[in-house]
Amino acid sequence: MTLASRTIDAAELALSHEEGAGTDLSGATHRARRVPWLRAHGRSLTVALLVLLVLSPFLWLVQLAFKPAADIFEDSLLFVPTLDGFLSLLQGNFVRSFWNSLAVSTMSTVFSLLIGVPAAYALTRWKFKGRDRIALWILVTRMAPPIAFTIPFFLAYQYLGLQDTLIGLAIVYLTFNLAIVIWLMQTFFEAVPASLEEAAWIDGCGVWQAFWRVALPLTAPGLAATAVLCFIFSWNDFFYALILTRTNAITAPVAIVNFLQYEGWEWTKIAAGGTLVMFPVIVFTVLVRKYLVRGLTAGGVKD
Amino acid sequence: MKPQNPLASLHRRDLLKTTAALGAASLLPGLAGAQGGAKKFAGVTLNVSTFSAAYPKLLQQWLPEFEALTGAKVNFDTPSFPVYNQRADLELSTRGSAYDVVNVTFIYSSRWINSGWLTPLDDYIRNANLTAPDFDINDFLPGARAPETGRDGKLYGIPWTAEALLTASSRFDLVEKAGLAFPDTTDDLVKVLRAVNRKERVAGFVADNHYGWTFVPYLHAFGGDVFRKAPDDLFPTLDTPEAIAAGEYYANLLKEFGPDGAVTYQPDQVTQALKLGRVNFTDAGQLHLAQLGDAATSKTVKTVRFGQVPKGPAGRFPGTAVHGLGIPTGSKNKEAAWAFIQWALSKQTTRRAVTAGYGSPARRSDIDSPEFRQKQVINGSDLAKLSLDAIESASKSGHMKYRTVSVYPQVDQQLNKAIELIASGQLSAKQAFQQAQANSIAELKRAGVKL
Repeated sequence: MTLASRTIDAAELALSHEEGAGTDLSGATHRARRVPWLRAHGRSLTVALLVLLVLSPFLWLVQLAFKPAADIFEDSLLFVPTLDGFLSLLQGNFVRSFWNSLAVSTMSTVFSLLIGVPAAYALTRWKFKGRDRIALWILVTRMAPPIAFTIPFFLAYQYLGLQDTLIGLAIVYLTFNLAIVIWLMQTFFEAVPASLEEAAWIDGCGVWQAFWRVALPLTAPGLAATAVLCFIFSWNDFFYALILTRTNAITAPVAIVNFLQYEGWEWTKIAAGGTLVMFPVIVFTVLVRKYLVRGLTAGGVKD
Repeated sequence: MKPQNPLASLHRRDLLKTTAALGAASLLPGLAGAQGGAKKFAGVTLNVSTFSAAYPKLLQQWLPEFEALTGAKVNFDTPSFPVYNQRADLELSTRGSAYDVVNVTFIYSSRWINSGWLTPLDDYIRNANLTAPDFDINDFLPGARAPETGRDGKLYGIPWTAEALLTASSRFDLVEKAGLAFPDTTDDLVKVLRAVNRKERVAGFVADNHYGWTFVPYLHAFGGDVFRKAPDDLFPTLDTPEAIAAGEYYANLLKEFGPDGAVTYQPDQVTQALKLGRVNFTDAGQLHLAQLGDAATSKTVKTVRFGQVPKGPAGRFPGTAVHGLGIPTGSKNKEAAWAFIQWALSKQTTRRAVTAGYGSPARRSDIDSPEFRQKQVINGSDLAKLSLDAIESASKSGHMKYRTVSVYPQVDQQLNKAIELIASGQLSAKQAFQQAQANSIAELKRAGVKL
């Protein structure tokens, strides 16, 4: 291609902006203009390809879950689907592990919000000595690797009898969830004008009532986004669950790893388990996606 | 749904319980007597943990019999191999009492035994009040008992599996077509691979990328070793001319005859590649290789052939792996734990497992039994004999002593890295093994080993 043919004149540039293709200043724009079909569908095609690229590991996992065990390593995508992988999960202990994951993640999310949201509110609204340092120290729990906390937790739980219990695991998850809640919710509370709460005080509300009736509803999208993140982090944890559970409180990620049998790996169970484990997070995220987007972008632009 | 008669249900349950108890008692009359009669451990809860494998799975099925016989309740936990090792190592190191019976994992046995984390079993074995007369500890292969024995000469684990590293050819028909025999020496192997590599789109050779397990028989075969004289002298010997020659030979097998991404293959991928006939040769544990004889999942069941790992200039040194059941020092129910181990590894139970298809028993009487031998003949290869010969050879020469050295995992990592670096063309064999030597020395010093 010659240099001249690559040159885009001002009129073309303006046109491409009008057509909404302003960000693409490469030769692709010229080609698109020359090929009507590409102009009409180019962007959709690009987006579809990108989506396919992102989804390919998930799609691969899902097709594996339906493949017969004997065909697992066959390259062909043509096979007679089977539910054997899912059925064998239902017959084993996986269902219990799945419920354990659900219970632990829910408990941990609730605990984190109950403790973290008032803490974030206090750190935002109240001026006291060492406020910034407290917030920073809370963040340290996210900076240190989990192994740093595991051994102390392991020994303490042995002593307290909290090993292999759901409540014990939910408490451990506070180490990373609390930091998320406090730091995220601080941003959301900062976005709420303090004058609204002051108005509530004048109208007779106490501090707690102003928090409960004014500040909290106004940060609902942020609360939803924070809850989703807490849930996902808890749901996906493998390391703490690996060390601190035995039989009763095993969570789904650990249960899936247990399909790596000594004599061979149970691929259909691994894939079926992986597919099922993705499901609650997808449902949860879809349900609150409206709040999630609003919550995560809140405070991005200063008024 | 049909309404159920509660009395009928009660009768059925009682009947099942009685049947189980009678069945167990008839299976293990010696154990019941040795334990001072039935239900001796009523009210005791035993926590047993092993990694998930065929034998523990059979035991889990038969647990109600042990519970009916002794009155003990058993929580039997079987996580995957890496999960189990991680948990057990942590639990034992804190001397916790969470477990009453554990699997004494081969690669950790020295660390766990020599740290005093496991209970010596000799006193239990000798005590006629606690051990059934027909338990017969000498029936377990000496080569299987050796890794479960401490430097004090005491036994810390009763083996439930004794496995050998063997060579397999999934498409031996291609070798026969080329007019060649099963390779006996390292030179033969290269000759055979050159003749069959890529024939009918079948790659010549692949191995599990845990080279600290699959490569070491070649290291020994070339006259090299991991340590100067394990377990007494742990100075690494990875930079010797023999070790470098072995590394070059082995990495070249992967480079010249391996499928794409050969250095990334995990044990299960190796098994699957051979089952599908995509790769012809490998060296792998017998439990993995036996799956090539499974007509339901293996496409090479009619063309597979097995043999010993090849002999090198210094001889033949097959790898072996043994796992046993032991009692942690922190257990609060040691007598009941010993009763469990006795039941789990009694002659009756192990024979029953062999009859059910279990493939790597540690009792000589099981290995010699017709039930086992019949099942282990796959397409004309006697896997049981190959395995037995390998285990006995390891027992005689003592070449597996390197494997139960507590700091071997550190050197193991260096061997994995060295073979990968050579096979991927990043370093020469000399450079890679000199680097492995230097890194191993540093790692061992960090671990407190005096060199």
